[in-house]
Amino acid sequence: MPRLEVRDVSMQFPAVLALDAVSLSFESGEVHGIIGENGAGKSTLMKILAGLQTPTAGEILGPDGQTLHLRSVGDALRAGIAMIHQELNLVDTLTVAENIFLGREPTSFGRLDRAQMRDRASQFLGQVGAGFSPNAMVGELSIAGKQLVEIAKALSYEASVLIMDEPTAVLSERETASLFQLIRELKGKGVTVLYISHRLAEVEEICDRVTVLRDGKVVGAVRQGEANQTEMAGMMVGRPMEDMFPEKAVVPDATPALSVQGIGDGRFVKGIDLEVRPGEIVGLAGLLGSGRTELAEMIVGARSRASGTVLRDGKPVACGSPKQAANAGIAYVSEDRKESGLVLSMSVVENTTLANIDSYCRPLVNRQKERAAAEEWKQKLDIRAHDMSAPILYLSGGNQQKVAVAKWLELNPKVLILDEPTRGVDVGAKRELYLLINRLAQDGLACLVISSELPELLGLCHRILVMRHGKIAGEVQGDSMTEEAVMVMAAGVEAA
Amino acid sequence: MKSISAFMQKYGVVVAFVLLFLIAALRQPDIFLKAENLRNLLNQNAPIGIVAIGMTLVIIAGGIDLSVGSIFALAACIGLLALNKLIAGGSSEVTASLLAVAVMVGVGGLLGAFNGVMVVFGRVAPFVATLVGLVAYRSMCLAIAEGGEIRSSSPDFFPSLGSGGVPIPGLTVGVKGDPLVITWGVFLFIAIALLAGFLLNHTRFGRYTIAVGANERAARYSAVATGRTKFYTYTLAGIFAGCAAVALSTRLNSVASSTYGLYYELDAIAAVVIGGTSLRGGSGRIWGTVVGVLLLGIITNILVLEGVSIYWQGVVKGAIILAAVLMQRGRDQ
Repeated sequence: MPRLEVRDVSMQFPAVLALDAVSLSFESGEVHGIIGENGAGKSTLMKILAGLQTPTAGEILGPDGQTLHLRSVGDALRAGIAMIHQELNLVDTLTVAENIFLGREPTSFGRLDRAQMRDRASQFLGQVGAGFSPNAMVGELSIAGKQLVEIAKALSYEASVLIMDEPTAVLSERETASLFQLIRELKGKGVTVLYISHRLAEVEEICDRVTVLRDGKVVGAVRQGEANQTEMAGMMVGRPMEDMFPEKAVVPDATPALSVQGIGDGRFVKGIDLEVRPGEIVGLAGLLGSGRTELAEMIVGARSRASGTVLRDGKPVACGSPKQAANAGIAYVSEDRKESGLVLSMSVVENTTLANIDSYCRPLVNRQKERAAAEEWKQKLDIRAHDMSAPILYLSGGNQQKVAVAKWLELNPKVLILDEPTRGVDVGAKRELYLLINRLAQDGLACLVISSELPELLGLCHRILVMRHGKIAGEVQGDSMTEEAVMVMAAGVEAA
Repeated sequence: MKSISAFMQKYGVVVAFVLLFLIAALRQPDIFLKAENLRNLLNQNAPIGIVAIGMTLVIIAGGIDLSVGSIFALAACIGLLALNKLIAGGSSEVTASLLAVAVMVGVGGLLGAFNGVMVVFGRVAPFVATLVGLVAYRSMCLAIAEGGEIRSSSPDFFPSLGSGGVPIPGLTVGVKGDPLVITWGVFLFIAIALLAGFLLNHTRFGRYTIAVGANERAARYSAVATGRTKFYTYTLAGIFAGCAAVALSTRLNSVASSTYGLYYELDAIAAVVIGGTSLRGGSGRIWGTVVGVLLLGIITNILVLEGVSIYWQGVVKGAIILAAVLMQRGRDQ
C-alpha cells in the first residue's frame, strides 16, 4: 500500500483548470520530486495535500486506502502531512521551542510548562541535527536554521509526509548539502518527502522518483537515473531543450561603461574594484553572505558606503540613491521581486513606467502614452500578460522579471545590474531571460549579473568575479571558467 | 455570488450610504428631507471632510496623522489672534480677515511639514511623530486661549465668509424667508476633494504616493523620491487642516480651545476606512472618503432626529463603522 495516494484530483479555478485528473502515489521512505514550469500545477497539488485548498474533484487516500478529507491544515497534520513553505512561517520574536509548540503549548494547571516545552523541542532539534538551543530567538537564526526549526516542528506533529517547497532556494551550497543529509536520514526512518524544486541538478541528486507536471497534467514519471536534467527540462516545457545559452558575442574594446574603485562599508564590502565594458556580461559569484548584493546596492546608492567612487564612461558620478544612479545611467534589477523589485499591487503598466514616470507627465500622467509604452515592452520582451491593467501579482515569476527589466530599460540605461535574475523562474522563461540579457549586451549595454547558479554564470558571462567575505577573491575567464575554479575561490579552499 | 461580493467590496460604502439615507427619509420624512436639514448636513461636515481628505493621502502613502485635529485647532487659534491684533492695530476688516485666512492655512502647512520632517528625516514612526502634535498643539491652543474661547473681533466680513455662499433659487429658511445658501465651506470641501482626487489619479505625485504606500522599498529601488513624497502628504494634510480651520472658524466666528476639532483625527480615520482606503496603505480613493464623511454625518443626524441620547450615540456610530467595514471586506483573505 502506498503511504499517500492522489486519485483523479482536479482543481478548477474560475479562469483555469489548475489540475486535470492527476493521479499519483507516494511510498513510505521515498523522496519524490515534483517538477514543472510555473503554473504547471505543482503548488496547487501541494496546497491540496497540505489542506490549504480543497480539490473540485477526485480523492486523496491514506495508507490503509481510506479517503482523507483534508479541509484544513489541521486535517492534514492529523493525517501526518506537513508542509515546509518557501516563505517560512515562523515568529521571529519567539524562541525556537515556542515556535515549535505554537498553538499547542504544553501546560500544567493552566500555566505554560516551559521545561517540558524545552525538553521536547530539544529532542526534535536533535533529530534534525540542529546545533542551536531551543531557547534561541528564531529571529537570530540563519535561514537554514529557521528551516530546521520548521522541519523539527513538522516532526513534532509526527508527520510522516513532508512537503518541501523549493527548500534550497535560499540556502548556500554547504547548507544544501546538510539538508540533503537530513532528508536521507528522514527517508531511512520511513518518512515520505515530496520535493518541489526548479533546480534540476538537485532533483536528480536527491529524488528516488520524479513526477513531471505540465498544464495541470502528469506528463512524465521517471526513476532516479532514468533521465538527465536536459531530458527532464524537455518534459517540463514539452519540447526538447536546445542549448540553454545563446552564443557569447565578442566584446568591443572600449572605455568601461562602469568602473567602481575601492567601494566598501568596512563591513559587508571591503574595498572592491571592478569594471564592466559596454557589451560585456560580467558575472558576480560567491556564497550567500559574501557581499554580492550589498556591493550592487552600494553601487546604486541603495545602501550607504564609507568609501569608493563610481565612474561612468571614465567620469566620476554621484550615486547616493537609486534615483541618482538611474540619472547616471546605472540600473539595478534587485534580487527580491516581491520585496524590492516590484509594487505587486500596482498594474503591469504602472510598474513598467514607475522609474520613468517623468517622461509621461506633462505635467499630468498621460495614461495612453504610458500604456502604449508598456505594450511596446510587452511585444519586445514577449511579456505574457492578458490584462496590462491588472495587478502584476498575477503574472508568473518569469514575466514579472521581464517587467522589472523593462522598467529599467525604459530609462535607457548604459549599465544594467541584475541580481539573481532567474530566481524562482521556470526553465523556459530562464532561457528567454538569457537570450534577452545577451541581446541587450549586444546592443551595447554593460551587464553585471549576480547569481547563485553557477551554470548560469558560466553559460552567460564573458568573465566571472568571485566574491568572498566582502572582497574579490579572484576572477575567471576563457578556459579557466569552470565550476571547480569558481567554487575553490568562493569557498577559499585549495583544490585537493 | 462572486460578482456581488466584488461589487460590495468596491461600492459597499455607497450602498450603506443610500440605505442610511432611505432609513432616515422614511422615519423622519418631514424633517430629514427638508432642504435646510440637508444643507446643514453639508455645512456641518465640510470641515471634517476637508481634514479627512488630507488623512486619505497620508494613509495611502502608508502613514497616519494623529495631529490633524490639534493642528486644526491651533491654526484657528493663531489665525483669530492675528485677526484681532490686526483689527486692533487699525487694519480694515477685509484685509485682516483675508490675512487671518492665510495665517490659518500657513500654520497648518508648517505644522504638517514639521510632521513630514519628523517622519522622513527624523525617522520617527508616523504614529509617534504625529502623536507629539496631537498632544502638544492642543496644549498650545489651550495655553493661548487660557482654556477658554477666542472670539473674533470682526463683526461682519470674517463671519460672512462662513455664512455666505451661493443661494439656491426658490428655497428659503426660517420665518424671515432668507434664501438657502450652500456655504463657501462646502465649496471648499468640494474643491479640495477634486484637487486631491486629481493629484492622486493624474499626477506623478499620486502615482508615487500609491507606490510608496504599497511597497516603499520597491519604490525607492525604482528611483522614486520616497522621502519627498511622504513629506508632501503630511504637508498637504496640514494645509487641508488649516483650510478646515478656516471653514469652521468663519462659521462660528470664534474658537473654543478645548473642544475645537477634538477627536477630528479619529473621525477622519473612520471616514477614510469606511471609504475603502486600506489602513495598510498602497490603495485608496478620495470619493470613498467623501461618502464616508457624509455617511458619518447622516448617522449623527438621524440619531439626533430620533432623539437618541448623546451619550449613546457613540455606540451606534461604532457599530455602523464596524458594519460598513465588514461589508467591504472580501471573503478571500
